[in-house]
Amino acid sequence: MRKVITLAAKDLLLLWRDKFGLFWVAVFPLLFAVFFGSIFSMGSKGPSAISIALVDQDSTQESQAFVEKLSTMKELDAKIVGFEDAKNMVRKGRVAAYVVVEEGYSANSDFIFAGEVPIKIGSDPSRKAESAYLQGILMKTMYEGFQERMSNPVKMTEKLDEMTESMKSAVDLTDGQRKTLVDLFSGLRDFVVAADAESLDMADAGMGEIKVETVERETTSARPRSYYDISFPQSVLWGLIGCAASFALSIVYERSRGTLIRLRLAPISRVHILAGKGLACFISCVGVIILLMLFGGLIFGVNISNTLNLALAAAASAFCFVGIMMLLSILGKTERSVAGAGWSVLMIIAMLGGGMVPAMVMPSWMKTLSHLSPAKWAVYSLEGAIWRGYTLSEMMQPIGILVGIGILSFSLGAFIWSRMEA
Amino acid sequence: MIRVENLRKSFNGTVAVDGISLEVNASETFGLLGPNGAGKTTTVNMIIGLLKPDSGKVVINGTGDPTNPQIRLDIGNCPQSLSIYEDMSAEENLRFFGKMYGLKGMELSKKVDWALEFAGLTDRRSDLSRDYSGGMKRRLNLVAAMIHDPTVLILDEPTVGVDPQSRNLIFEGIEAMKREGKTVIYTTHYMEEAERLCDRVAIIDHGVILDLDTVESLIEKHGGVSVIEGDLISPPDNPETVPGMVEGTKVRIETDRPMEEFAALSGKGLKFSSVRIDKADLEAVFLNLTGRRLRD
Repeated sequence: MRKVITLAAKDLLLLWRDKFGLFWVAVFPLLFAVFFGSIFSMGSKGPSAISIALVDQDSTQESQAFVEKLSTMKELDAKIVGFEDAKNMVRKGRVAAYVVVEEGYSANSDFIFAGEVPIKIGSDPSRKAESAYLQGILMKTMYEGFQERMSNPVKMTEKLDEMTESMKSAVDLTDGQRKTLVDLFSGLRDFVVAADAESLDMADAGMGEIKVETVERETTSARPRSYYDISFPQSVLWGLIGCAASFALSIVYERSRGTLIRLRLAPISRVHILAGKGLACFISCVGVIILLMLFGGLIFGVNISNTLNLALAAAASAFCFVGIMMLLSILGKTERSVAGAGWSVLMIIAMLGGGMVPAMVMPSWMKTLSHLSPAKWAVYSLEGAIWRGYTLSEMMQPIGILVGIGILSFSLGAFIWSRMEA
Repeated sequence: MIRVENLRKSFNGTVAVDGISLEVNASETFGLLGPNGAGKTTTVNMIIGLLKPDSGKVVINGTGDPTNPQIRLDIGNCPQSLSIYEDMSAEENLRFFGKMYGLKGMELSKKVDWALEFAGLTDRRSDLSRDYSGGMKRRLNLVAAMIHDPTVLILDEPTVGVDPQSRNLIFEGIEAMKREGKTVIYTTHYMEEAERLCDRVAIIDHGVILDLDTVESLIEKHGGVSVIEGDLISPPDNPETVPGMVEGTKVRIETDRPMEEFAALSGKGLKFSSVRIDKADLEAVFLNLTGRRLRD
């Protein structure tokens, strides 16, 4: 093992001294993340709309008006569906929450809601911030509706007349109570008739609370918190590509410069040589991921939702690209041929895998094709740990695929390399 | 020490080595002399196990497998190409290769210091190799093969493209190795190097050994006669006593022993204003064996 570490240390030292190679491994990915993160952030007018499912259980004119108003708000991306569908949409992670306008909404909507508001929110517990934001939007909308009604003198007098009549015929009131209430509504009516709309502003009115319930999510497709959440995993991909290309070239370099002859004549096996190269590549990949994530986290607020998942994603991605590095090294016998063929292959891998255009905005045929690219799974696993909020079991799919590709490509590359060197 | 039996190797139908057999004794410096493309490097690569022969056998220290790690510990190879890491210093290169051979700690440090001294690179030990002259790189290439103190040294054209000063340093190093009793296989297409350094030489061309013997015996067998040509200050009194052609003051003598003959002429009172002695050498041996010059 000491000889493998010595071999790896030598390769890391050579990479460190190759300033041009180091640029592609570490600096270019960083520039990529910052550049594209900034560009898209500047183009955006604010946070993305919250996707919700709307359920109207009251089915009255008032409830329909309320639902209609919500569905046209720019802060919300709302779909009107049935309750079961809404619940499933939250479970599947297709929307952040559902909003149910319950029966009785209309009957209670004329005045300030006392106690519980007949509106219910169901949300994924991991998306508390979006749920809280949604509550705020609902309160504001309900209050605006109430304020609108109360600011209309005609509607207000009609309602007060209706209530005065209701008080007069109420059987559960004493004569004294009845007289007091009728006088109150009559007085109020006179005030409304005499006042203008502006003086009826209900700015300080208080309201009840909206019920919030949680719905456990099955799988997620959460949204990134900022464009840096997308650009940094992409930049990691470029770092991995830089490492794979750099170390693939170093294998060819050793062959063409003759240092490989010295290594092969030393009392070490080919396994040692390849393990040393693989270890150096792995350490570089992990180092680049740590560097980019630290930079993203400390400077650009990229928030890692699960550190353990990120560690697993980083290790699996690094392992996968070590295998790809081995496979690239046998694409030719000269540095020029491997550099040309290697970068071509890596560009296709990156393009399909979301290294240039994020997978989430790809056309569907390209999304399907992207399953073939290890880059897609690397980005997917990193996003899973950063903003998709994957559970450990959800992480297993991309990690398993990455490790599988790594084992296959390293074995195939090592086999062909051994035959080439025989 | 090293026995090679009927080695054959071809690449894509082109025969590179065609049935070479030889034996190198312990503490011997053995030369493989031949033009570029003669099959020298292919032969040494099969001897050290880098290439698998199509047929034939290599036996080193009694074992038939040069890929055996224990055998490899005893072999140091200085390849024809500069097999060093140019982005590492001489010291870093030597430390790295030393570690590959299991050296560590004080022993490694001592060996590295010795190798740097041997190569005349002590003052430049920390500079990156890419900044060295061609000769310095060659010297580093040589000592990298010697860092683990092997008993067998394979030197494949170690002086290609070096300046005379570095060449002399390399020769002195190899002669020091000879004195220490190392076994050396030395490939070259410079006959002066083979004559100076090698106890025995195999003349190789087109993958075949044309002859194998000591330098003296090869010259004796295939070198032909040496020639003394000169101008006398005055014509000889008795031209018939001169064992060659005399025309006025010009003399041309063919002989097997040119130096002895020249001494005898001086003894007879002949005084030369100028003289040239064309001594038979390995170049002549190669010319006589193949009809071509070594560097054709």
